[in-house]
Amino acid sequence: MNHSPSVIEFRKVTKRFGDVVAVADNDLAVKAGEFLSILGPSGCGKTTSLRMMAGFEQPSSGEVFIRGENVTGVPAYRRPVNMVFQHYALFPHLSVADNVSYGLRQRNPKPARAEIDRAVDEALAMVRLEGYGKRRSYELSGGQQQRVALARALINRPAVLLLDEPLAALDRKLRRDMQIELQNLQRDVGITFLLVTHDQEEALSMSDRVCVMREGRIVQTGSPRELYDQPVNRYVADFVGKTNFFSGPTGAEVLSIRPEQIEIAANVNALPEGLMARLPVKVLNRIFLGEHTEYVVASDKLGEFMVMAPRKSEREAGVYDIGDMIAAGWRAEAERILPNT
Amino acid sequence: MTKHPDHISAEKFLAELRRFQKGSVTRRHFLGVTGLGLATAVLSTAMPGLRPRKAYAGLSGTLNVTTWPNYFSQENYDDFTKKTGVPINVNVFGSNEEMLAKLQAGSTGWDVLVPTNYTISTYKGLDLIEPLDLKLFPSYDPAQQDPRFLGPGTIDGVTYAVPKDWGTTGFIVNTKSTTENPVSWKDFFAATQGPLSGKVTVHDYQLTTIGSAAKSLGYSFNTVDPKELAEVEKLLIATKPHLFGITSDYQPAMRNGDAAMAMCWTNDAAQLHRDLPEMSYRLGKDGGEIWVDHYAVIKGAPNRDAAYAFLDFILTPEINAKEIEAHGTPTPDARVIKLLPKDILENPILYPAADQLSVLEYGAAETLTNPARAELMARFKSA
Amino acid sequence: MAGLVPAILFTRGKKMRGSRPRMMKLSMTSSLRSKLVTALLLAPAGLFFVFLLLVPLAVVLLFSFGERAPAGGYVPAFTLQNYMDLPARGKAFFNTLTLAPLGTLLTALFAFPMAYFLAVRTSPKWRIALLILVMAPFWTSQLLRYYAWMIILGNKGLPSWLAMVGLTDVRIINTPWAVLIGAVYGYLPLMVPPIYVSLEKLDKRLLEASADLGATPTRTFLQVTLPLALPGVATGSMLVFILLMGDYILPQFLGGGKVFFIGNALVDLFLQSRNWPFGAAVSVALVAIMFVTIYFYMRFVLSKSDTRRAALV
Ligand SMILES: Nc1ncnc2c1ncn2[C@@H]1O[C@H](COP(=O)(O)OP(=O)(O)OP(=O)(O)O)[C@@H](O)[C@H]1O
Ligand SMILES: [Mg+2]
Repeated sequence: MNHSPSVIEFRKVTKRFGDVVAVADNDLAVKAGEFLSILGPSGCGKTTSLRMMAGFEQPSSGEVFIRGENVTGVPAYRRPVNMVFQHYALFPHLSVADNVSYGLRQRNPKPARAEIDRAVDEALAMVRLEGYGKRRSYELSGGQQQRVALARALINRPAVLLLDEPLAALDRKLRRDMQIELQNLQRDVGITFLLVTHDQEEALSMSDRVCVMREGRIVQTGSPRELYDQPVNRYVADFVGKTNFFSGPTGAEVLSIRPEQIEIAANVNALPEGLMARLPVKVLNRIFLGEHTEYVVASDKLGEFMVMAPRKSEREAGVYDIGDMIAAGWRAEAERILPNT
Repeated sequence: MTKHPDHISAEKFLAELRRFQKGSVTRRHFLGVTGLGLATAVLSTAMPGLRPRKAYAGLSGTLNVTTWPNYFSQENYDDFTKKTGVPINVNVFGSNEEMLAKLQAGSTGWDVLVPTNYTISTYKGLDLIEPLDLKLFPSYDPAQQDPRFLGPGTIDGVTYAVPKDWGTTGFIVNTKSTTENPVSWKDFFAATQGPLSGKVTVHDYQLTTIGSAAKSLGYSFNTVDPKELAEVEKLLIATKPHLFGITSDYQPAMRNGDAAMAMCWTNDAAQLHRDLPEMSYRLGKDGGEIWVDHYAVIKGAPNRDAAYAFLDFILTPEINAKEIEAHGTPTPDARVIKLLPKDILENPILYPAADQLSVLEYGAAETLTNPARAELMARFKSA
Repeated sequence: MAGLVPAILFTRGKKMRGSRPRMMKLSMTSSLRSKLVTALLLAPAGLFFVFLLLVPLAVVLLFSFGERAPAGGYVPAFTLQNYMDLPARGKAFFNTLTLAPLGTLLTALFAFPMAYFLAVRTSPKWRIALLILVMAPFWTSQLLRYYAWMIILGNKGLPSWLAMVGLTDVRIINTPWAVLIGAVYGYLPLMVPPIYVSLEKLDKRLLEASADLGATPTRTFLQVTLPLALPGVATGSMLVFILLMGDYILPQFLGGGKVFFIGNALVDLFLQSRNWPFGAAVSVALVAIMFVTIYFYMRFVLSKSDTRRAALV
């Protein structure tokens, strides 16, 4: 018996579909109670990873552990995890209440009717859908269906709740609301959440930890701050937040400087003290983003790069127009040399 | 409701027809396969090889002949079309009752009809067929017909129909599967309720089933007497559990051994015997049915001229002989008999000895329309 | 009936046009136009319905109160005698009303696993080929198929094989069993496709969701697959039931005239004894029974699974 503190764990898990390696030799340990996101571009193996945890797919090699128990080969219906599907997968022939109670009704022995009813009411209250029990799923909005899917999974108190891009189908505003709701929910119920997304903002803003994947491999796992500040390579730096890359002399390495760490001023002399680089640049483009303004500037030596000027500095120094000759510079700490992979 | 089948379906139709004529399929099967129960098939018009080459002047249009499925020579019909330019549209039916039902429903567009003896007076009474103008088809010679078969077509001295072919209703026994030797309808029903239980079929047809049962009790084939019919009903209902089936399509059951004895018509008997010599056809010593089919012309026939031209053509002895050879049913025309090959003439199924025929009766018109017999049959079938 | 709809819509539209302001008129006419288009699209079906269904039905109803002409056929009259005579065909009604539902049920029981296998277990490569194979018997003559079954179920067929394993004296052909076997065989091609379609469009993620929530494969089948395939089963059953209720060829061939259906009674009444009024009364009774049965059946099915709208999701 392995007494791992992880609630769910991959050990050297590989999944092949014919010639396609969807997941390649991955190790991953999800800690009890945390909110972990798997982040990566389309086709990198996120869903496949999740499906191996849920039991819909079995690894080609390697092992899956849930609460320290080797569940490799155990079918989905005997795993103490639940999934919220991308398109909710609510049962169209059942009412909302029957959808939510579905998991409880599969238990052996089946809980008493009253107990089920109480649990359903509780679960619906949790997702703020009190009184919706009698409705059919197709009588609900997308966001409401999403919440029914959540209630249907959470009512089972799973060891881990697996969420496969649960918010992808919602519009931007609703997505923001649901992100906050999900976070609150996770805090309230204390269940481990494992969220799959290709939206870096979503991953960074919601998660305790983020696991970045690329072509089936986990590239880096860490807190959002770690990923942002200490990306292990160019890929992670590029994927997590915006950044400027400047090629190194050998091509094996790149210099990464985050746009918000670059300062600009009307001229070189107006830049603050202590900068390690000071360059005259020309403003090529300007995009107003509310709390920030994004400039694209060009210098003779380094070419084009992006600068993020906070509203606050603008109020002090003013706004520059396209075509203006200004100056840019940054501190030594802003520079990060990364492997060019 | 005229369907013009395309070239391929016409060919398929003909293939089925040929098979049918060879006796490998039966009347009802044919009707089902070709979908002709109540539908119509235009034969000649669908066949490019038979486009009219005007040889006969004055004829045009299409000729509608309503007959039985195994009952004509396609070659003859094709020849008629070649000669006259008139394509023949053949309508095929499973029973006289169906023909009558269709005619009663109205506007059939038929020209020539092939009714059985007992229906002619009804057709005449309902004014559905016309008195024949014998001058218009000189090839027909009443003097050459077996006088026995001239009665039903002539009403009050007027000829409404002329004989085509005749036959009998008896029963066929598979002598390989039973040693029983029934020779009368009395034997037939006794054997059915006894040693041949479960291996006998009777017709799905009131005239022959009720008539033959009546004969076995010593009554007329055509009885409509309520007391006698009540006895017939008792006999039939007592027999029913012992029957293999109630069907006019008994050839398959006889051929594959499910049935050992079957109520049977001449033409089926000839076909069965030809393929399986152990099939023995008998006429009831206590009586039974003799029948004769006729040609008649529908009152108000749309193509009356062609109808008479057709009668003249088809009743020409040499042509009529080809008819008989094609479908194998006996003819009453002495001129034709002279032209027939020996094997047909010497076949006792087709031409039984005269003394066997003497006890047989024609079906009576009364039975065709009698509601008591129809209801008796229905009670028997649904018992 | 539906044929009248366009005219009504049109006159109403004209009135509106004169009395409403311009904006209103625009929206009215466009909605009117869409209604008009709908009505026109429905018109052929509506006319078909009226002339090929309602009119004949009305004629049959009229005939059922008439009397048989002496030589057969119909003479106008008003009598209820034909309805009073219905018990004379009681056995036919009994046979049809027991064997048709039973045959439908058996057909569904055989069709479901086939459809399930095709829709769920077969790779898409083979599906079409196998589905065509299921339908293939339909392309050969129905009569030829029944003749084949007459041989298979005849004494030299199945019973002789059963005799080899010690089951002697089994009679199948010309019994209700033969009719049931024929029904399953003959109507399977009608039952499989609708069930196949409903299983095929069944969202496979629902099955995963069910498993994810702890349902064993059996329970998933019973709680998800089956209810969602119910519309297909209902459609197929309805089709088979209606056709079986009116069938006369199957009982004639495989029942050998010993299994007497309402259809056989009707053939005899219309084509043999030509008792049209009584035949009409039997038809009316058949249609009435069918209507009531289907009504309750549909109600039952719709209450069992909210199929109509579930299909939209
Ligand atoms: N059932 C399957 N059969 C074959 N290949 C598959 C299967 N499922 C996934 N793949 C392949 O495995 C790879 C990873 O797929 P996966 O669905 O895990 O990607 P993902 O990261 O979830 O992508 P997305 O963000 O688009 O959902 C892809 O190349 C995909 O084509
Ligand atoms: Mg995915």
